[in-house]
Amino acid sequence: MKLHADTLTRAYGAVQALDGLSLQVDARVLVLIGPSGGGKSTFLRLCGGLDLATSGSLEINGTALGEDPAELLAWRRRNGFLFQQFNLFPHLTARRNITLPLEKVHGRSPEEAEEVARRCLERFGLQAHGDKLPAQMSGGQQQRAGLARAIAPGPEILLLDEPTSALDPEMTAEVLELIQELAAAGQHIILSTHEMGFARAVADQVAVIAEGKILESGLPAAVFGQPRAAFTQRFLAKVMRFT
Amino acid sequence: MHASRSGSLLAELLAALLLTALTCAGVWMVLSELETARSGAALWKYRESLWRGWGTTLVVSVGALVGSCAVAGVLVAGQRSGLRSLRWFTQGLVELVRGMPLLSLLLIGFYVVLNNRFLAEALDRVNLGDKLFAGILLLSIFTGAYLTEILRGGLESIPQAQLDSARAVGFDRWQVMRYVVFPQALRRVLPALAGQFVSLVKDSSLLSVIGVNEFTYQARAFYAATYLGVEAFLPLAVGYLLLTLPIAGFSHWLERRFAAATAN
Repeated sequence: MKLHADTLTRAYGAVQALDGLSLQVDARVLVLIGPSGGGKSTFLRLCGGLDLATSGSLEINGTALGEDPAELLAWRRRNGFLFQQFNLFPHLTARRNITLPLEKVHGRSPEEAEEVARRCLERFGLQAHGDKLPAQMSGGQQQRAGLARAIAPGPEILLLDEPTSALDPEMTAEVLELIQELAAAGQHIILSTHEMGFARAVADQVAVIAEGKILESGLPAAVFGQPRAAFTQRFLAKVMRFT
Repeated sequence: MHASRSGSLLAELLAALLLTALTCAGVWMVLSELETARSGAALWKYRESLWRGWGTTLVVSVGALVGSCAVAGVLVAGQRSGLRSLRWFTQGLVELVRGMPLLSLLLIGFYVVLNNRFLAEALDRVNLGDKLFAGILLLSIFTGAYLTEILRGGLESIPQAQLDSARAVGFDRWQVMRYVVFPQALRRVLPALAGQFVSLVKDSSLLSVIGVNEFTYQARAFYAATYLGVEAFLPLAVGYLLLTLPIAGFSHWLERRFAAATAN
């Protein structure tokens, strides 16, 4: 996966969420780390075609993400996205959450969609929960079902925005394990996380985002082992203190 | 939790006894006014007009129920239009109708607007020039305006996270509405919608002012001819309850069915 961002900015009113972010990487699994409010989510939303940049350019695998709604819709349909929480549609069962987009967005027949959903639920250890509504599942199960839904159509890139930040440590481990499996199976992933141990283990490339900019990026061993930026050193020292 | 909420058995019994007594007293007060010697014969004589009146109320209610949904559909679309002028126009219309007593809306709508020469001719040409249609139309507009605001509240209550998720799975704008926003919003506003539909049935009693011979009109005609008050208005109350209670019951049933699905 080739990603090229050039002086990206995104302003929400007076708030400058991205402030001239530039990044050029070639990675299978790109992990974004950095303090909350630094711009990770905004950058991921832009990468996922869910939001528009105020200025600058972004190109992923040869596709320039512009402002054309139809092109952005096509881009969203090619990729999968998972938010921190509230991913599932609460009025549909876990299974229907998976089959509905397969049928309506990807044009699969109901039987095909059903079969794909069955396999995904099984793969993510949710075979017993397919007929449950989200409110009847634990946070970890919900997030795994969300992951199953994102994976079901076979996305080119899977974008994960702090997928475990709303979960307790046990559920976090469940979800991280699945993400690691997906990565090991060759899935292209861009994810943001506060789980530094996981970031280091799963990433090909790590980028540190703060104040709407990339502070540094590179191999995980380099960024975690010998951080160059003083900010990264302080940030890592702080978040790694208890791990 | 169950035990702490319910009082002692004795208190429960006393309360039940007291409330039963109150209910019986109320029923007795009403029924003691019956002039049993005349009531049966009089009701039998007027049974057909009363029955026809109830039928008209049923037709008006069902017609306006469907009509008000159509009106609300158009107005909600107007409220969400990309054109600012259309949004303002729609909101103005909604506030105008909601701010007006139904009585004045019926009088102005029937005697002024629908009485307009060109409009009346046009309606006559398609065989919709009668009072019944005018009544259903005006009641649909009145109720439709209320439904519009209820639906708007429901649509706006769906959290942004749901819209994001819906877009993220690749739904287009229409699909986001069709599969994610609308089903959830509808479930949330169900009680309010049912309340509005119950009001609609009762509001139809005002259509007599434009000469629609609905149930209330026939009951008053019966009273005017016989001076039998309880005999006229007791069946009237029962007749309306026969229409409104099923709506309330159906709504409660749907609420229970959707209870888990609306938890968020």
